[in-house]
Amino acid sequence: MPGHAILFPIIIPLITALAVLFVPKRAGWAKEIVSVAGTALNFFAAIILFRSNLNFSIPWSGFGIDLSLRLYQFSAFIILAVAGFAFLVTLYSTASLHAKNYAKQFYVYLLLTFCMVNGAVLSDNLIVMLFFWEGTLLTLFGMIAIGNKNAFKTATKAFIIVGVCDLCMMTGMAITAHLAGTLTISQIAITTGGLGGLAFILLVIGAISKAGSMPFHSWIPDAAIDAPLPFMAILPAALEKLLGIYFLTRISLDMFKLDVHSWASTTLMTIGAITIVLAVMMALVQKDYKRLLSYHAISQVGYMILGIGTLVPVGIVGGLFHMINNALYKSCLFLTGGSVEKQAGTTDLAKLGGLRRKMPITFTCFLIAAASISGVPPFNGFFSKELIYDGALERGLIFYIAAIAGSFLTAASFLKLGHAAYLGKGQSKTDVKEAPVRMLIPMIVIALTCVLFGLWNALPLKGLIQPVLGERLEGHNFAGLPSNALLVIITVVVLALALLNHIYGVRKSGKAIGASDHIRHAPVLDSIYDRAEKRFFDPYNIGLHIVNLFSRIASWLDKAIDWVYNVMVVRTMYAITGAIRKLHTGNYSSYILWSIGAMVLIVIFLIRSI
Amino acid sequence: MPSLMILIPLFGVIILNLVFASNDKMKRAAFWFALALFISQIAVAIFHHPIFWNNSLKPLDSFFKVSFFVDHLSFIMFICIGMVSIASLFVAKYTITEEGGRFKFINLLILASLGMSGIIMVKDIFSLYVFMEITAVSSFLLIAYPKSLESLEGAFKYLILSAVATVLMLSAIGILLLASGGTSFFAIASGIAEARNSSLIVFAIGLFICGLFIKGGLVPFHGWLPDAYTAAPASVSVLLAGVVTKAAGIYTMIRIVTSLFPYNQPVNNVLMLVGTISIFVGAIVAIGQDNFKRMLAYSSISQMGYIILGLGTGTGLGIAGAVFHLFNHSVFKSLLFVNSAAVEKETGTCDMNKLGGISQKMPVTGATSVIAFLSTCGIPPLSGFWSKIIIVIALWQTSHYAYACLAVLASIITLAYFLSMQRRVFFGKLRSGLEGLKEADRGVLAVSIILAAITIGVGVFFPFFFNIFILPVKEILVR
Repeated sequence: MPGHAILFPIIIPLITALAVLFVPKRAGWAKEIVSVAGTALNFFAAIILFRSNLNFSIPWSGFGIDLSLRLYQFSAFIILAVAGFAFLVTLYSTASLHAKNYAKQFYVYLLLTFCMVNGAVLSDNLIVMLFFWEGTLLTLFGMIAIGNKNAFKTATKAFIIVGVCDLCMMTGMAITAHLAGTLTISQIAITTGGLGGLAFILLVIGAISKAGSMPFHSWIPDAAIDAPLPFMAILPAALEKLLGIYFLTRISLDMFKLDVHSWASTTLMTIGAITIVLAVMMALVQKDYKRLLSYHAISQVGYMILGIGTLVPVGIVGGLFHMINNALYKSCLFLTGGSVEKQAGTTDLAKLGGLRRKMPITFTCFLIAAASISGVPPFNGFFSKELIYDGALERGLIFYIAAIAGSFLTAASFLKLGHAAYLGKGQSKTDVKEAPVRMLIPMIVIALTCVLFGLWNALPLKGLIQPVLGERLEGHNFAGLPSNALLVIITVVVLALALLNHIYGVRKSGKAIGASDHIRHAPVLDSIYDRAEKRFFDPYNIGLHIVNLFSRIASWLDKAIDWVYNVMVVRTMYAITGAIRKLHTGNYSSYILWSIGAMVLIVIFLIRSI
Repeated sequence: MPSLMILIPLFGVIILNLVFASNDKMKRAAFWFALALFISQIAVAIFHHPIFWNNSLKPLDSFFKVSFFVDHLSFIMFICIGMVSIASLFVAKYTITEEGGRFKFINLLILASLGMSGIIMVKDIFSLYVFMEITAVSSFLLIAYPKSLESLEGAFKYLILSAVATVLMLSAIGILLLASGGTSFFAIASGIAEARNSSLIVFAIGLFICGLFIKGGLVPFHGWLPDAYTAAPASVSVLLAGVVTKAAGIYTMIRIVTSLFPYNQPVNNVLMLVGTISIFVGAIVAIGQDNFKRMLAYSSISQMGYIILGLGTGTGLGIAGAVFHLFNHSVFKSLLFVNSAAVEKETGTCDMNKLGGISQKMPVTGATSVIAFLSTCGIPPLSGFWSKIIIVIALWQTSHYAYACLAVLASIITLAYFLSMQRRVFFGKLRSGLEGLKEADRGVLAVSIILAAITIGVGVFFPFFFNIFILPVKEILVR
């Protein structure tokens, strides 16, 4: 296959985006047709490119900055996954967004995002990667900003958070390039000692902020409400996870020589564990379909970071497997949320209920995806979580406990969500119908893939993930049933406990939506939740407060300086001016006197200085 | 050859009175005659590079019994004189509607330009005095010409203070004649060099410098200047501010200080001190003015201070900066006075409290005055920036850090009063009663635009102008 073929995943979405841009407004379905055709072509190209190793490089701007792209097992896998989601979500969007006036903009941003993500994944040069990486930031901003009336604020929030993290990454890249002496990613191999440690931290900040980990997460729940729904299904749920975790894996495994027991590994695992628990705690008490899902989108990143952070083969495989699984079930969940929103007109759980009969296919897809995310055997999430548990346990009991606690709460929150939205009595409108077929197909395809990846987990593990790690696996094979029976038993017990907890919660509060109220109002948690809901812990808000404080101080200083210039100086000036003006009486005898006096002084000065 | 510069205006005045005085129609044509005369003067100056200039036309030069001499500095002054005279002529055509009055004005203008041309070419100190008096007398008449009480008072103040200056300079000339036995620059320079420490000669130097300070209107010798500038008719203000005080005061100061007197530290200290005082007093008083022209007059004093400050450094760069600022100032200050003439003529007042927002009705006037005041304040890339920065650099090079800082600081005050002027006169809401305002006539607008273009052009092509025309000026130090 010619080396230029590697450019297809970048060029096809780009050309499609431009084509959509030039579609006339009156052309009806043309923009949808063009978008779907473009993403289908992109998917086709990704399939053809899969399993080929290609290198492509042309000089770009000197100083070692070449447009060099590299397609190998890992990037080909990500490209394929991106192309698959791109096609399905675009198809879904044609149904859910057609009537919206921002649809055309959305398609252009979406296609440009595919272009940028593919470019970032393929690039083998830090600067080129940075170019594509920042490109996703712009389209991210655009896609959020076209949403509802609060969207611009949320878009700004996302832009600032991700932008600051990208700035960190940029600095990290500069240090890395300095230490490694090259900008070519595949040739970088440095240690985390001294400056290298700083570079590692900075690059990790860039990667996990893209993936949406805590503490860089706080824009995602806001975007879930404000941005167009397909955006949530494709970016925070799927593409950003793929991109962020891909880069995190590259950092941890290729670019830096990390030891299993290094501080770097512990740091990553700690971030992962904290993200899992805190985000899912927040998810548990949400009362909005999309917002609840968005917290899970954050929480699940924790599992991936935890898995990769273990640096043991089983953990890494688990982390990567979880990455693709999460992309599947999370986008599926968001798509069901979108269907519910479109058909029932709301995503507020208090107003939903009894949708099981009216939207049976959506309900089935939701059930599969929810079972997957909760880690119910034999769905795909179960297998990847078991691998991560295994890896976490190998590194420390505390990480395992955090992971299993996260599982308990995940299951509990999805029991609540499913119960409140689909079961029970219908409180919502009576004329709710099943979603249109173009929205159902993506959901069904993804749900089936969830089942497939669970039942036949050798397919993703042997075909996609294990080749990525190559000799690092030391002959292990993680396909098939989990090896540690004790962990499986614990998992099943935890899921059962989650069910009991749900039943207890529903009994206690009397309604499905109140299933988590007893946790919400537990003695210590109550006050913490109160503060969290007031965004007390949102790093963005804390940052805003600090900036506000600074700006207030600066404003005082500014006012003081203003006073000096505008009041003091002016008054002094006018006083002096007035005094001198009074001297100018217009009386020429005094003018002559001045002249003579000054002359005398000058002559005396000159004569004295002889 | 240099005598041509005297002969052209001299015969010009004669022809003017013989040919054009006959009737009103001819008097109207006098404007075009004077214009042609000034243009030919500039042309003669330009087409004869200073190197070829000093070949004397024997018969003509002997006619005067005065030896003329031209160098790069005189060349720049020629350009200033021609340029400002033309600007003044156009303003006169615009503001002076009565034919006879304008004819008289043209006569006096040509005479003043004759005097100034003489000042910048003479080689002996007594002839210098004579030409200075020619300039001064024609200036008195020009100021007094409207015969209003105000203009008579202004002229009288100028006359009295000028008389003081004359007395001082004549006494100095007498003493120097006694000491050196001659009045030519060369004789005096060698005489002074011989008796360097004689207190009599230093006394004479002091008197002469003070006389020139009065002529140049430096603080505290400036009493006459604001009244004269304000009282004079618009076209005369342009001439006075643009070139008369510069030729009589500043140019002579440069010439005398560099080629006559020992260019030593005490004199430099006096120059820098007086320069700095002028800069600050002029600028600070300008802030409080309500009269447009009076503000410009004080601004002139302040800018003269810069020139003297640059001269006081005593280095080639400082003098080049001073001469450059002199040229720039005569461009942008005459531009501002031309605009003030347009405003005064159209609105009937120069009181800034009665003006406002007239840029809407007089866009060209408003825009060109913005360029002029930005150049005055030293905003890059306009010409004023370069001359000021050269003066500051020269001060810095000679370790006069305090003066350098003060010079920069004063720019801010300059900006302050010009911004307030611009806001009160040109920007903001149009003051009621000025709705019927019209733009000035085309001749004046053309002058404004050309002067603004020179300011921008010299600023943008600064290296070219500076290296070709201004920098050679420092040769006067070598001589």
